[in-house]
Amino acid sequence: MSRQGYLIKRILQAIFSLWIIATILFFLFRMGLPDPTAALVTEGLNAEQRAAIRAQFGLEEPLWRQYVLFLTNAVQGEFGTSFSYRAPVADIVWERLANTMVLMLAAIVLAYAIGVPLGAWLSWRRGSRADTAGIFFGLMFRSAPMFWTGMIAILIFGVGLSILPTSGMRTLPYDADGWWDKILTLDFLWHAVLPVLIVALYYLGSPLLIMRNTMLEVYGEDFIEMARAKGLPERDILYKHAARNALLPVVTQLAVTIGLAAGGQVVVEVVFSWPGLGREILNAVRTSDFPLAQASFLIMAAFVITLNLLVDILYTTLDPRVSFR
Amino acid sequence: MTLPPVFRAAIGPLRIMMQDRLAVIGLCVLSGIIAMALFAPLLSTHDPRHINEIEDGSVLQRGAEGWELRESLGPLALNDADHHEGESIIVGRGGMGWAREGVGDWVALELPTDVDLHAVALSPEGRALVVGDDSMILLREGATWTQVPAPEVVRLRGVVWLDAASALMVGTGEEIWRLDTATGAITEIDSPVGRGFPLQSVALDVDGTALIVGERGLAVRYDPEDGSATLERLGSSRDLNHIHISEGGAALVVGERGTLLRRESAASGWSADPAPDTRAMRAGWIGDDGQAIAAGRNGLIMEWDGAAWQLVPTESERHLRALLVVGGEMLALGSDRFVSRLLPPSREHWFGTDHLGRDLFSQNVHGSQIALLVGFLGATLVVLIGTNVGLIAGYYRGRTETVLMRTVDVMYGIPFEPFALILVLLFQPSLTIVILAVSLLTWRTVARLIRSQVLSLRERPFVKAARVAGASDLRIMYLHIFPNVLPLVFLELAIIVGVSIIAEATLSFLGLGPPQAISWGGILHDARLSGAWRTAWWWNLPPGILIMTTVLSVFFISRSLEVVANPRLRARQ
Repeated sequence: MSRQGYLIKRILQAIFSLWIIATILFFLFRMGLPDPTAALVTEGLNAEQRAAIRAQFGLEEPLWRQYVLFLTNAVQGEFGTSFSYRAPVADIVWERLANTMVLMLAAIVLAYAIGVPLGAWLSWRRGSRADTAGIFFGLMFRSAPMFWTGMIAILIFGVGLSILPTSGMRTLPYDADGWWDKILTLDFLWHAVLPVLIVALYYLGSPLLIMRNTMLEVYGEDFIEMARAKGLPERDILYKHAARNALLPVVTQLAVTIGLAAGGQVVVEVVFSWPGLGREILNAVRTSDFPLAQASFLIMAAFVITLNLLVDILYTTLDPRVSFR
Repeated sequence: MTLPPVFRAAIGPLRIMMQDRLAVIGLCVLSGIIAMALFAPLLSTHDPRHINEIEDGSVLQRGAEGWELRESLGPLALNDADHHEGESIIVGRGGMGWAREGVGDWVALELPTDVDLHAVALSPEGRALVVGDDSMILLREGATWTQVPAPEVVRLRGVVWLDAASALMVGTGEEIWRLDTATGAITEIDSPVGRGFPLQSVALDVDGTALIVGERGLAVRYDPEDGSATLERLGSSRDLNHIHISEGGAALVVGERGTLLRRESAASGWSADPAPDTRAMRAGWIGDDGQAIAAGRNGLIMEWDGAAWQLVPTESERHLRALLVVGGEMLALGSDRFVSRLLPPSREHWFGTDHLGRDLFSQNVHGSQIALLVGFLGATLVVLIGTNVGLIAGYYRGRTETVLMRTVDVMYGIPFEPFALILVLLFQPSLTIVILAVSLLTWRTVARLIRSQVLSLRERPFVKAARVAGASDLRIMYLHIFPNVLPLVFLELAIIVGVSIIAEATLSFLGLGPPQAISWGGILHDARLSGAWRTAWWWNLPPGILIMTTVLSVFFISRSLEVVANPRLRARQ
């Protein structure tokens, strides 16, 4: 199949996936929350106002009309108004998504930047005490729930030593013109240290172990023998010859990880009060803010699918051996 | 010796696992945790949901900043204290008594009784009287304690010396007894009310009469001159618990619902002060210089600052029953059974207690049940679905494969954690929903892995041979191909057990776990919600360490299973 054909097929698949997910989401919410406006009673809305909102969301219509309305609105990026924020849902969701992505990407980059060289080094020292310790700690941080490591980190660095901020993205109060203005400050960096570190430690295990194991396989290959026979220094063999060839499975794992990054790590956002999308979904469903919950999840899924698609396309460029199936 | 082939097939992988030190450690730890889950009721020292209370001979001392906890006097509550000329005596429950000279160490008294003692009084001549339940009257002359026989069984609550040789005692049946210590004779004095209202406390006024207080605002003045008992109005109808009169004539009566009745001097009248807290007050003390203290339940202590009563910072759990003021030293004594909140680890509570006084060791032990249940049940479900989907898709190929694998692709577009959250939040947390939320998406990995394995297996000669021999599709799939992917299935099972345990802990941590169930994530949820986790390290550490150890041991096992599943790894290790 040609490259163009492959691209078109993948994009069509992505749209199909998104449609299925939107459908599941729609029926899930209709089953779980038959009357989403019930939550509004507490806010002092009377029956008439509730009826108005129900009409606005088309809740009085038959189910199939509601479904069509939901899909057309979603395609047009029209997600209604949040019950709790009293603001357009789309604006809230995009900002939260950006917050989640900046945390996740920083953590993933950090994890792979440390994990890949460390894994290569461990494979070189295989069987040694350092190797065992590396495997042990890699697996340990993968086994420890992030909300717990986060709490412990807050206890040590926030409460005990009080050298790092433990909640939010900026010291309150602050003014910022737009999102970038908020992000490009030292204060933000300072706030990001702990959450990024906690997520990175969790992700560290996979590049570390995958790199180590693939390197061990690569060591058996003929071209390594060849390099040794040439009398190259062991360092060069390790980093220039073996490591390059062992990178592929790590890149595959990186692709999967980035693809799912938009899903975020809800608990880390909760523990560090990071205003991310996962935390927003949790709050939205808790407060029965169904326009926000629905839109958050749909946009999150759309982002996951888009990232998956981009990563796939990049990957085929990176490794031509992957056929355009 | 020849073993059946099934055993021989099982021993091979087992031997490989046994060679891996980490896997052996993992197996041991996991068996330990499974045993912990199975024998949780036997292992736990307390009922994990029970709110624990303890009794303690608590002593609080007034420091510069507030009242500070001092070393306890025994395990029994302290009820009353008195002092004279440098000698102090404390009496408490279970026949407990403590004495000291000056400000030395408290020494336990050898009292010839074990009933609850409620009041103590020291006479100017150095004699002491202690009264309590079961008409217990103990008189100390010199150094010996003797019990004074009583005419009937009553519960005595207060005692005061009237003069060198006689004392007045009051009881819960409105009894007013006068004791002549020389003869041991007890005279019963008729109360002016006579309806059996409990009398709680008695104090000697400056004019030589005794003032008695009791329930429903009852106050009786006894005049030893003519032996009359007359009703007195203090201006309250609440239950009065304690009275104290200073040498100069200032008096303080405390009672239920923050009742504070004060008299500035013998000449002035009683006035009811507004209290900053309306809990029950059990003890009061007033000095001649206008100083006054009132103490009550839950560590409540108020001090009179000359214009109003002020709450003073204290320890907030113990129930205070008595005040002892000797010179500049001020002590508050208690405590009946109080909820043992946020106790650090001790011999009684190995992992301490939480904000409701529940035993954390028992909670952690019980938490293993839910973790393993969800972990293994969820993982079995995941592997069951994933393996079958993978087998069918890989074996049949064609349209079946397309449909199944597209489904898996769609599932990869759903973020796991938020989806589980929405599922649980929309359909009310229950064990079933939690297991479903954990397993509904995770099978996507298993399906992909098994399918790719089956794809290569189905082209092998043994499959073709089976087909030629006329084996049905089902037979080929489950009898010929399935055993070959079994190591991979076990590997995935182990990994997903770990993933499920973390997922359950995560949901429970967010407060979405199975309701009423005790789980490790739930313990951390409580800790975070209570806000005490920033100080109570014993609350945070154990559940996290247990989750980590369990998942880690499963991962160790899975690593050696990987060697079993992938023989290529065997050569290089």
